[in-house]
Amino acid sequence: MIRLENIVATYTTHRGQVHAVEGVNLEIPDSTIVGIAGESGCGKSTLMKVLYGDIGFPLSLSSGKVDYGFVNDRGEPVTTENIRDEWFRRISYIPQSSMSSLNPVMRIRDQFVDFPATAGRKKEVLAQVRSFVQKLGLPPQAIDAYPHQLSGGMRQRIMVAMATFFQPEVILADEPTTALDVVVQKSILLLLLDLQKEMGNTILLVSHDMGVHYQITRKMLIMYAAKVVEYADTDDLFQQPLHPYTLMLIHSLPTIGDDRARHGLPGSPPSLWEMPQGCRFAPRCPLATARCRREEPPLKEHVRGRFSACHYANSVPELKKTLEAGPKLSEINVMELMAEAERDI
Amino acid sequence: MKLAQYIVQRVFAYFLVLFVGITITFFLPRLMPGDPINNYISQVQARAGQSLSAEAVQQLRDSLAELYGLQGNLFTQYINYLKRVVRLDFGPSFTYYPEPVSEILLESMPWTAGLLLTTTLLSWLIGNGIGLIAGYYNKRRAAAVLEFIGIVLYPIPYYILALVVILILAYWLGLFPLSPTFLPGPISWNKVVSILYNSFLPALTLVLAGFGWNVLSMKALAIATKEDSYVQFARLKGTTDRTRMVNYVFRNAMLPQITALVLSLGFIFNGALQTEIIFSYPGLGMTMRAAAGAGDYNLLYGSIVITILSVATAALVLDLIYPLFDPRIRLGR
Repeated sequence: MIRLENIVATYTTHRGQVHAVEGVNLEIPDSTIVGIAGESGCGKSTLMKVLYGDIGFPLSLSSGKVDYGFVNDRGEPVTTENIRDEWFRRISYIPQSSMSSLNPVMRIRDQFVDFPATAGRKKEVLAQVRSFVQKLGLPPQAIDAYPHQLSGGMRQRIMVAMATFFQPEVILADEPTTALDVVVQKSILLLLLDLQKEMGNTILLVSHDMGVHYQITRKMLIMYAAKVVEYADTDDLFQQPLHPYTLMLIHSLPTIGDDRARHGLPGSPPSLWEMPQGCRFAPRCPLATARCRREEPPLKEHVRGRFSACHYANSVPELKKTLEAGPKLSEINVMELMAEAERDI
Repeated sequence: MKLAQYIVQRVFAYFLVLFVGITITFFLPRLMPGDPINNYISQVQARAGQSLSAEAVQQLRDSLAELYGLQGNLFTQYINYLKRVVRLDFGPSFTYYPEPVSEILLESMPWTAGLLLTTTLLSWLIGNGIGLIAGYYNKRRAAAVLEFIGIVLYPIPYYILALVVILILAYWLGLFPLSPTFLPGPISWNKVVSILYNSFLPALTLVLAGFGWNVLSMKALAIATKEDSYVQFARLKGTTDRTRMVNYVFRNAMLPQITALVLSLGFIFNGALQTEIIFSYPGLGMTMRAAAGAGDYNLLYGSIVITILSVATAALVLDLIYPLFDPRIRLGR
């Protein structure tokens, strides 16, 4: 189990210090795929950096640490302090841009064996890599190629191969399929899913695509303005969210056969420099009351295994019903709406 | 695109550039006002008074026209000119008459090539090495010191740098001769030593003057390259700084630097005029200067053609070796 204890991650900028992740407490069970979602700037990438242990100027950890729940070769527990030594052995990373994450002037096989995890046994590793990439649907000669000779999908498979070859306990994937078309995207995700089933790694997946989360992840972590607002099993979360932000995030997704008008989320998230008092979502929340603007809701277990940071988590189902009773697209008079919009201007 | 096709294209372009360059050298002087033969004859007449008969003038005119390759119409002249260029025959030099231009050039070429080849390569290696370290560790103090070397050396005018080096090493410390005296005769161990010893000062000044630019540009390239995603990903793989600096940053950042290196190698045959004058070094630069000063057209033609030839050849060599460093060209897109 990975334990995050009161993580506060801070960026030092010329304007001063700003917390990109503030007070995150989490327990992630082993062999689980956890999806992380939220708007740009909510702190998900920073949380991934902290999890990977890639902390260096301008990012620093103001408080807290990550306990990875396994021990290193010397028998010491692995935490934020010594996770760097385990890079690409016990924890690995799949970057977003496979296109540009491989050195254009080096053969792929050389990039497979130029880090400490392979020191002293490069030949042996390469022989294994050759058979391993075959399992991933690549010809064994693919690793003799230069990056530009492979297609985007093949390159992303190479990235997946690198990240999974050493059978790490933890794999972090930061939008691993964003740059690919949907067909390739699906095959890469299914591949990752297969490998995870076989090896039992814990995968943390950042994506903007709620559809990907729904299909792939077991648990979901929703972030808003540097905080975790909801953490639950994916199925429960999609069926009945317990935070208005999650609800609105999901409700903005179109579904086939459902022609109700979609509501975007009005407004934009608060600047990290000027956090509102109380609940950070309150200015955009239809349920917000005076209490929300005064008092910040903690992340609480409302139902067993379902965490939400909302004073009115119990009212969210009702809000869902109201949204679902919204007008159908076919019932909306578009001309009227346009005339209204013109008047507003 | 296949490699063979690539090579054929480059070689074709090479000959095209040579042809165009040599053609321009032919036509450009003919667009200038004035006629070299008339110039020469009026000079002779001025010296000899009016004593030359019209017949003698005509004879002189014909022989000069033959000497300069000016018989016949423009087209015949052009064809003759091309034929001679192919044989590298530029006629006799006027100042060193009757020594052929090609022999004069051949004599001074090894001096220039030897000096400039060595110094250009050395300043490339040293400059890029320093620039790479300064760029890769650009947030450290020591790197700023390295870059400082480049910043200080780069803007110093060459002649001042050379004079300071002469002043310190030759005049005050007396470690090297003020002007070189090369042993005559065939190549021997002693002669080689004397050449190395006498060429050290000019070489030193050329290296110092040359590597500042390499430091600055390599540093800028290294800083930009090290932020590229493949270098960042290599860092997250846990590769060592050394691996990343050499295999990731340098192997990518050196590509434009190789272009600069090979192109500067092409200009070697222009000689290093300032160096050759300051150090009385017997190279191509001095020869060309003498030719220009004395109106020695043939010698000047010869030097210009040699320059075109060497710059174009350098560009061809660059095109042909580039695939070795960049697989994207070697293996096609």
